Amino acid sequence: MPKKQNVQIKKIRMKKIIGIILIASFLNSCYYDKEEILYPTTESKCNATNSDFTSVKITIQENCLSCHSNSSASTIGGSIKLEDYADVKNYAENGKLLGTIKHESAYSAMPKNGAKLNDCKISQIENWINSGTPNN
Amino acid sequence: MFTKKILLITSLLFIFIISNAQDIDDLMNEASNDVVNYTTATFKSTRMINGHSTETVKKKHLDFRISHRFGTVNTGISNFFGIDQSTIHLAFDYGINDRLTIGYGRSSYNKTYDLTLKYKLLQQSNGKKNMPISMTYYGSIEAFSRPFANTDRTNYFTSRLTFVNQFLIARKFNESLSLQLIPTIIHKNLTPTVFDMNDVFAIGIGGRYKLTNRMALTAEYYYAYHSKRSITEYNNPISIGIDIETGGHVFQIMLTNSSIMKEGGFIYGNDNGNIFNGDIHLGFNISRMFSFN
Repeated sequence: MPKKQNVQIKKIRMKKIIGIILIASFLNSCYYDKEEILYPTTESKCNATNSDFTSVKITIQENCLSCHSNSSASTIGGSIKLEDYADVKNYAENGKLLGTIKHESAYSAMPKNGAKLNDCKISQIENWINSGTPNN
Repeated sequence: MFTKKILLITSLLFIFIISNAQDIDDLMNEASNDVVNYTTATFKSTRMINGHSTETVKKKHLDFRISHRFGTVNTGISNFFGIDQSTIHLAFDYGINDRLTIGYGRSSYNKTYDLTLKYKLLQQSNGKKNMPISMTYYGSIEAFSRPFANTDRTNYFTSRLTFVNQFLIARKFNESLSLQLIPTIIHKNLTPTVFDMNDVFAIGIGGRYKLTNRMALTAEYYYAYHSKRSITEYNNPISIGIDIETGGHVFQIMLTNSSIMKEGGFIYGNDNGNIFNGDIHLGFNISRMFSFN
């Protein structure tokens, strides 16, 4: 009988240890990182006043073209193309580009299923539109 | 300001405790019983609406869940009031025993994978053993697999992680009414600015009111404390829904201001819509239970 009890106690102990490991794994690997401290250069790289089409194009390439390139627009991009200057200018002028990236109501929020662009990039695009969408 | 909020939260807790005292007479009558009567079906499903409920999956049962949130209603007829777009979450929750549930899920929002653990600590009961509340611990790790927007910098895997810890405290007041209080801590490893907090404390309140045997009205709200100096717009999630039970399935339909179905997303609240602008999403959860007995 005592042998049986021992086995039972061991089983309970094993269960407890497994429980503790499971809980500990949920509490582990915490970091307190802030993007603007961790990557101090990225903010200076984005300059809202430097709003030429070259900079806007980089933002669009990084965030939009995975769906809205000339080749993929018809399948996953809702037939909205943003690869060429003329196309971007068109959506900039009818207000859809700014409405979607600013997550304004009555516009479909972009990037779809992703985080909003950072404020610097949004104001860069806004400044470019306000200066008359030049091709520079 | 902060102390005021703490006072508000504690007073809410007290109301919750005091309201329990009303049942003392009932409990005294039943105290003579020699058997323990466990309260069952505090909620119909393991989810309230977006968040979890105190319910766990039964031993050797698999709960397969498909959830959808459509686009915002205010996008108008051209987007069929949001139904043209959708966010999906798939979840597999398995009951190791009646108290312990482990889960795995994948969400299209930021292409997020998640691992969850749920353990029922207390089960509401009366008779020989008196327990006024049910309490469940819920923990989750969420990792988004969407590529980082900036590939020039050194990106760390840990930056992808969000941790959620919750205590779900619920009481079934009578056959129709169940209420739940949800103290929550969310930890995000990486936030954009110094004013966006890595640790966010939140308190949720939710409830269910049974309309018929197969239908119930549910509602849920979370208040999350964020720094007022942050320029990010945070919106607290608020939802209202209907649970419909049809043999083996639980079907939940809801209106909510969040298209995200994981705690690290919708309670944190940086991508939630503002209901006053009409950013309301229609959505549904379908749950199908499989038995391996």
